[in-house]
Amino acid sequence: MILAISLVVAVVFGSGAFLVLQRDLFRVVVGLTLISNSAFLFIIAAGLTRGTAGFAQGAVPVLPIPEGSAASDPLVQAMALTALVISLSTIALLLSLIYRLYVAHETVDLEDISEAEMRLAEALEREEEPEEEEKPEAGQEEEEIEKRSR
Amino acid sequence: MTGSTLLVLPVGLPWALAVALALLNGRRPWVGWLAVAGLGASLVSVVMLTFRVLREGPVETVTGGWPAGVGIVLRADVLGATFAAVSVGVILVSLVYEVFVGVRSRTFPALVLFLAAGLSGLFLTGDVFNFYVFFEVSMTAAYILTGYREQDYQVRGAFIFAVVNLLGSVIFLIAIAALYHVTGTLEMATVAERVREVNPNSLITIATAIFVAFSLKLGLFPFHFWLPVVYVGSHAPVAAILSGALANIGNYGLLRFGGDILSEELALGATAVLVLGSASIIYGALQAISRREPSEVLAYSTIGQVGYVLVALGIGGTVGFSAALIYAVVNSLNKALLFLVAGLRGPFVAAAFAVGAFSLMGVPPAVGFIGKIAVFKAGLAAGGVIQATLLVALIFLGSALSFVYALQIYQRAFLAKEPQGGLWDKTSPWTARALVVALAALVLAMGLWPEPLLVLGEEAATNLIESGGSP
Amino acid sequence: MGVMPRTVAKLLFLPTLVAAVAILVKGYAQTGDGFSAGVVASLGMVLQYLAFGRREAEKLPLVGFAGRGAFVGLLIGLLVAAVPVALGDPVFNHYPGPGAHVVYLGTLELITPVLFDVGVFLLVFGFAVGSVRAIANTITREEEYRGPDADDLGVEDLAKGERR
Repeated sequence: MILAISLVVAVVFGSGAFLVLQRDLFRVVVGLTLISNSAFLFIIAAGLTRGTAGFAQGAVPVLPIPEGSAASDPLVQAMALTALVISLSTIALLLSLIYRLYVAHETVDLEDISEAEMRLAEALEREEEPEEEEKPEAGQEEEEIEKRSR
Repeated sequence: MTGSTLLVLPVGLPWALAVALALLNGRRPWVGWLAVAGLGASLVSVVMLTFRVLREGPVETVTGGWPAGVGIVLRADVLGATFAAVSVGVILVSLVYEVFVGVRSRTFPALVLFLAAGLSGLFLTGDVFNFYVFFEVSMTAAYILTGYREQDYQVRGAFIFAVVNLLGSVIFLIAIAALYHVTGTLEMATVAERVREVNPNSLITIATAIFVAFSLKLGLFPFHFWLPVVYVGSHAPVAAILSGALANIGNYGLLRFGGDILSEELALGATAVLVLGSASIIYGALQAISRREPSEVLAYSTIGQVGYVLVALGIGGTVGFSAALIYAVVNSLNKALLFLVAGLRGPFVAAAFAVGAFSLMGVPPAVGFIGKIAVFKAGLAAGGVIQATLLVALIFLGSALSFVYALQIYQRAFLAKEPQGGLWDKTSPWTARALVVALAALVLAMGLWPEPLLVLGEEAATNLIESGGSP
Repeated sequence: MGVMPRTVAKLLFLPTLVAAVAILVKGYAQTGDGFSAGVVASLGMVLQYLAFGRREAEKLPLVGFAGRGAFVGLLIGLLVAAVPVALGDPVFNHYPGPGAHVVYLGTLELITPVLFDVGVFLLVFGFAVGSVRAIANTITREEEYRGPDADDLGVEDLAKGERR
């Protein structure tokens, strides 16, 4: 069982690491999701082999358990659930960042985005404009979006 | 006020206020000032907590009134309270700065409060997993803040920041799960007790994973590649928050896990820590000298400054740990001041920058001098004459290099006749300038009266050694 | 979407909500809690979005407040944690204390953790439905952007600015 779990964790982590190294930003996010999932598997695995929760080590049992019966550790489940929710929110944030980049460049390829930024910077230098151009209307636009979504 | 109330206030107050402010429009000045007031109250409670901890020893409370071992333990000792006070202070100054300059996003004040709540939470917890949860709360807020002002390069920076740090978090999470597996508990004090009976081989793997995770957050030399992109692109107060407050997670984590919980593993890997710290000092300083943009120089200098903390940590013992804490605090203040000043133009700004630059170099009477002296003392205390000589020589070289790049940016930013473009001609609001001047005055005052800082460092290091056991 | 999914989605909507409430109130003696209740309820809502599209789903009551509901839920949770501190007990203490008399409402025990779980439910439901709404809205706006009246739009103006 330990070998099987370790293999699964390793394969999931490996595939995730491969995807993170791609140029396509969506693949990067999918890769990150896989890597986080390998961590959750690892947390669950930390409770699997224990059998009698943390009781053997002198931890206080969460529920009174009949003598001799095995119970898996409830704490790892809670930990995995918490970590899962955290990673869900971060992944949602990453996807929204990608969407923002896509809206600006109509591509999700990292190299294309960098190239577009370089071109923009060069164009700005040629026009001798200050590089840190602020957008005064950005605030109003946001409000506009809000009104529409209501 | 009871200890447990003081323990809950710094976390709960900004958190609840952040939730309320998230529903309001943060661009309105009164919303911003409300956030400032909440954060100010949180700072007051953290400072009161620090005094109490210094006088009466660690404060501890278990959530829900459960027996210890079942409930989550909230715990404040000198180390955590000091870091919490400094981080909340830096965040408060940055938030006030942004309110003066003008908030451009409706979520900015709420996000800053979320970040402050997460940071105080992780400094004031005695539970390893709770540490991870608060760490993620503050990191998630930081990802969004990096993209603040929504320029393309900022959004791209936020993406890179989030991807790299999410990887770091996953590594840390795996290390926590492994630590739980071998000790059967998540409570820091109990973990520190039980690791002594655990097979050292598995502990070394765990310690390495934790070290890698925190080094990634800190932007230490081989893990630094994400840092310049993020710091250069960020808006000035955001960069100040990132380097002055958020980087403290790494400093605190290394001190807490290295000095306290896994102290034997730290002693075992001291040479590796020293080598990485030295490499970071040299690399950061050389890169900083070769850059032109002030924000870029500051970003690389951050990599170098982290090296000093690591060297002090590698030396270990009371002297080393107190030096690490003092240097981390000093570096937070320096970086907050410099990043904030780098975004301003007008009278008195150059003077504030000069104070920050002197502090960075370690020239008295700025507070940076105290930090450098502490690390020097730690270097002299290192075992073996050759090692001590090498370390002192290295610290001296690093300081000399920081002298060069600090003068270079000062010259380029403030002495050059032709400013680099029309934007620099605008004078910043006098309120923001007054704020950075006040911060510079604080840096000078702490340099002239360093006793509180030294006492904090001493106490924290003694606590760590006592609870961690071996040096 | 075809007739079948629409019918199934319509038939399933109320049962999912009932099941969510059941999970919420059963959490104290049996399996269940606010988190899983929130997930079940938001799955029911996502099904409506998938089957009927944005415009139809928005007509359901209270959907518009989902995003705010998340913050209200978080606030309720924090209050449950903070009120004991104000009364001098440890944070997250629950009332009535262990062994004290509890008022029952059917099988539901009236204790403060129930309030906390309601907060968690609101948070999860609000977050899930709020993000689904946000995504659905951006997609619709982009379609409009391709159309003739693209001038008064927010996000895309930034994009045009960059391409200029």
